[in-house]
Amino acid sequence: MSEKYLVQPDLAYIDELEGLGADTLKKCFQCATCSVACPIAPEDSPFPRKEMIAASWGLKDKLQCSGDIWLCHECGDCSDLCPRGARPGDVLSAIRYSAIKEYSQPKFLANAVEDPKKLPLLIAIPGLWFALLAFITMTAGETMTKIFHTIGIEWSHGGHGIAQANFFSTWFVDLTFIPLSICVAVVFGLSLKRFVIDIHENAVAEGKTDKKTIDIKALLQALVSIIPVVLKHDKFNECEANQDRATAHMMVLYSFIGLAVVTGIFCVVLYVFHIPGPYSQLNPVKWLGNISGAALVIGSLLMIKNRLAKKDQVSAYKDWYILGVVLSLGLTGLLTEMTRLAGYAEVTYFLYWLHLIAIFNLFAFLPFSKMAHLVYRTTAMAYAEYGNRK
Amino acid sequence: MDKKYGVYICTGCGIGDVLDMEDLVDVPDEEGINCTTHACLCGKEGAALIQKDVDDGKVNALVIGACSRRVNFDVFKYDNCIVERVNLREGVVWPHSREKYPALTEDQKDDEEHFDQIQMKAEDYLKMGMIRVEKVELPVPFKTETFSKKILVLGGGITGISAALDAAKIGFEVTIVEKQAKLGGYAANMRSQMPVVEPFEELIPTVIDEKLAEIAQYPNIQVKTATEVARIAGQPGEFTVTFKTPGQKIPFDVPFPLPEEMTMDEKGDELDAETLHAKYLEFNEGKNDILQLDPEGELYGAVILAAGWRTDTLEGDAYTHLGLDLPDVITNDEFEKIAAKGKILRPSDGKEAKSVVFIQSPGKDEDDADFPYCGSVTSQVALKQAKYVRNDYADGKAYIIYQHMRTPGLQENFYKSMQQDNGIFMTKGAVTQVSKNGDDLTVEASNTLLGDAIDIKADLVVVSAGMVPVTVDDPIINLAYRQGPGFRDNDIFGGYADSNYICFPYETQRTGVYAAGAIRRAMTIEESMEDATGAALKAIQCIESADRGVAVHPRSGDMTYPDFFFQRCTQCKRCTVECPFGALDDDEKGTPKINPTRCRRCGTCMGACPERIISFADYSIDSIGSQIKAIGVPSEDDYDEPPYRILALVCENDAYPALDMVGMNRIDYSPDVRLIPVRCLGSVNSIWIKDALAQGMDGVILIGCKHGDDYQCHFMKGSELAEVRANKMGDALASLALEEERVRFEEIAIDEYDKLPGLLSDFVEEIEGLGPNPFKGF
Ligand code: SF4
Ligand code: SF4
Ligand code: SF4
Ligand code: SF4
Repeated sequence: MSEKYLVQPDLAYIDELEGLGADTLKKCFQCATCSVACPIAPEDSPFPRKEMIAASWGLKDKLQCSGDIWLCHECGDCSDLCPRGARPGDVLSAIRYSAIKEYSQPKFLANAVEDPKKLPLLIAIPGLWFALLAFITMTAGETMTKIFHTIGIEWSHGGHGIAQANFFSTWFVDLTFIPLSICVAVVFGLSLKRFVIDIHENAVAEGKTDKKTIDIKALLQALVSIIPVVLKHDKFNECEANQDRATAHMMVLYSFIGLAVVTGIFCVVLYVFHIPGPYSQLNPVKWLGNISGAALVIGSLLMIKNRLAKKDQVSAYKDWYILGVVLSLGLTGLLTEMTRLAGYAEVTYFLYWLHLIAIFNLFAFLPFSKMAHLVYRTTAMAYAEYGNRK
Repeated sequence: MDKKYGVYICTGCGIGDVLDMEDLVDVPDEEGINCTTHACLCGKEGAALIQKDVDDGKVNALVIGACSRRVNFDVFKYDNCIVERVNLREGVVWPHSREKYPALTEDQKDDEEHFDQIQMKAEDYLKMGMIRVEKVELPVPFKTETFSKKILVLGGGITGISAALDAAKIGFEVTIVEKQAKLGGYAANMRSQMPVVEPFEELIPTVIDEKLAEIAQYPNIQVKTATEVARIAGQPGEFTVTFKTPGQKIPFDVPFPLPEEMTMDEKGDELDAETLHAKYLEFNEGKNDILQLDPEGELYGAVILAAGWRTDTLEGDAYTHLGLDLPDVITNDEFEKIAAKGKILRPSDGKEAKSVVFIQSPGKDEDDADFPYCGSVTSQVALKQAKYVRNDYADGKAYIIYQHMRTPGLQENFYKSMQQDNGIFMTKGAVTQVSKNGDDLTVEASNTLLGDAIDIKADLVVVSAGMVPVTVDDPIINLAYRQGPGFRDNDIFGGYADSNYICFPYETQRTGVYAAGAIRRAMTIEESMEDATGAALKAIQCIESADRGVAVHPRSGDMTYPDFFFQRCTQCKRCTVECPFGALDDDEKGTPKINPTRCRRCGTCMGACPERIISFADYSIDSIGSQIKAIGVPSEDDYDEPPYRILALVCENDAYPALDMVGMNRIDYSPDVRLIPVRCLGSVNSIWIKDALAQGMDGVILIGCKHGDDYQCHFMKGSELAEVRANKMGDALASLALEEERVRFEEIAIDEYDKLPGLLSDFVEEIEGLGPNPFKGF
């Protein structure tokens, strides 16, 4: 079916996966129970049995660029049923994380996100940056106004009373996050290009597709067609062991979507209609924002609870890092708002600072953290749709 | 023995409800034999009743009509008495019910039309039991002239040493014979070994050094290195053993039997005994005949065969793709030797071998067979050797390509732990090619767990050569037996020294010789040590049994042995040739010589003897013949339509217990069949069949164990010989103008009891189709 494959085990890769929570991977004895158990594995060369042997042989080349590892939704059905306790679900998760690190540039960032020892640094850098900007906002308002006037723009968006903009200029927020977003988009773009080429090559080599080349248009169409699947968590729900996780995961996904929508609308309101925040609590957009924020907190708490409760699934630092970021993002956001309404200026400003750090962590490290699965999985699912993976 | 007869009939377990007791009691009464009935003979009261008669000297030849002899044998056991158990329960009232065969009414009793098939069967069985006690004698145990309790261990490897230690600890004198200059065997040349104790996870240094040190502490272990056995003559309890230096030629080297083509004249007729003996002496020039005992020989009671294995030589077309001629393609044996010396360096250029592929199966042509003589040991050796690579090099990689990975028992833990090593890679797969690639090797494999075709770059390739038992090359035990120095037909066991390794481990085809270790099947050190214990216990059992004059196996405790009435022997040698255990030798005239402690009491010789001069104290041509004659064969003189009579001679090892199970399950079969248990179908003499038919019985069926390569016959050859003999009866039947279908041979295993009723009715139906035996009533 496929051509000769030169086996080149990479011992360091095995060590890496083991460090990422796949310490059981060598236990697999290839019974294939997992592939039978997996509710979403395709019929043709199903996963995760073949990934298990590739992992235990350290075949990094085969795994990094496999689209299949992304089709897995980490439900853990396979881990439940594995007679050897090899926990294939966790192994796939480790493989995915390693792939994220592989595809995202620059490497040092990826390594920093992976390393618990670097966590203080990941917090300190945005912390200092935002502290500096806050200092400028609060102490150098006039200078800034002058500077801004020379290019014909109004400096202050600050409303009356307690407004975050009085503590931290909206300009600064946007001047931080817009370039950051562009960087992230570029990083993702470059990674994805490599990623798509690789998973296609791998699929051809392993006979997992009927397509010979990549047709971008068709691929995009496939992407569109799988969006409802992603939104409805269809794949997620196919895994029985997963019903509880699906709810939490869905809450988090939808709250992010909700918050993105809210941010977009208020952006327009601010820059197009020149109405600065804070906006009235009666505003429906504000409702959406509040609901999303609450959903984010509840969803991420549920996910943490699920992880703690699961005996058959291991949680590595990579998992806790991202859950921590999401939870602090939601919590600081909601608390900022609440303390603002309650009139505690210092407290709300401090919380806002924390909130900004959380947002920075989420955004800046998106391509390097587990969160990147959002992009890779969606792409891989689109490719599977396109490539007729059955 | 002055026999005092007594018949006891139990009326319990349904016997009294089904049978007409008065009529049954009439049977012994008519013979003037006292008959006692009791409602529960096996109960305290019933047993006491019989015991009292025995103690009072009223009876010493008892017929007990109750349950099968396979149950309550401990209850109905009386010293110095002949006891015959008539199987009225499992054999009569349990399989046949009154619903199906109603009892006769008073009117029907003498109307020449009706008969009671169940009652007839019970009465026949009782008569058969009564005649048997009349015909048999109490056995007298056989004692050898001299007796030695010493144990000879052939082979000084781990198995031999362990067996010697085990026997010595119990207090037996042991001699270990080792061909090499020092003890230790293969284990002494290994780097490490698989674990022998829990948790079975890590490689350990070989245990051989400990064992060798232990041996020195036992003064009752004698070690003879650089020595081999020239011959072992005699029989258990008095084996006369001649030792020699390996390679030496001496007069007491064991002679070999004449090859078959030399036993015939030009016309293809068998030569007479004396010419044969002359030719035999010529063929074995310079060697003494087997019957000549070495006056210098040492006496031993039993032998433990632990001569082990050699590594297989892999050559031939089946392996050309494996590149066996390349210097860096080596066997597991060669690899072990390299490993024992130090780091794993490859033979061609001494480079560190950091990528090693272990090939477990030749893998060509979609064939998933392993290399010959491979098994779980070679799987485990591959795991062990893979670990060597890892222990020697932190960046070492060891690949194992297997078709079967076998790690029995707790060695599964060893597998798991080896698998845990990040640098050990395993896959099922077929190796299609090993070729040179610059300085390195490339191993190509297909059908692997990683996908269809893979290539692996290797510094060194190790193929898994099997462990060939040394009995493939050489008889090793050098028995001075007429049938030859080694085991007969050993190729059905692949050359392993075995006789039936599932049912009777350690047992070989020669009584008193117990095999252990890799000569029996490929074994690890752990298994070999355990095996050694088993064989040592068997050897001790043999010595103790022979000392008491009883059989060791499988008729443990049997005191009888074949007795020959030599005046009528025609020196036809059938008995010597057909004895499955080589228990009989013969002299220059061809007169058989019995070696009772070699004998397993199967009776195959008795079945073979055309002169019918071989018998056992409690089992003879006459005892069974008389039982057959005791069976009533009603004719038209008795009834308008007399019932058929079928004789079934059934092997008491599998078929008879299976028939008991039929009874226990209350499954009906034709009540016209009369069963007689026999020691082995091999003991069935054709005369019984002829007599049965001559007296008007309609058919004879022989039911015994499966034979062939995967035989289940407890005496290896018995049921096979019986079938040959039954087939040869055709002519004899034709001379009586009888159809050959009247004699049938069937094989049954003990777990196939449910097939028996069908098999019997089938036969009865066929006989009914042939019609009654014309001899009936003569
Ligand atoms: S991961 Fe577990 S279930 Fe899957 S093949 Fe391996 S041992 Fe079997
Ligand atoms: S975790 Fe779930 S989706 Fe992933 S391979 Fe296992 S069973 Fe399939
Ligand atoms: S045939 Fe059986 S009974 Fe006869 S000598 Fe041989 S072992 Fe003994
Ligand atoms: S089979 Fe009978 S007649 Fe023939 S040699 Fe043996 S004992 Fe003698």
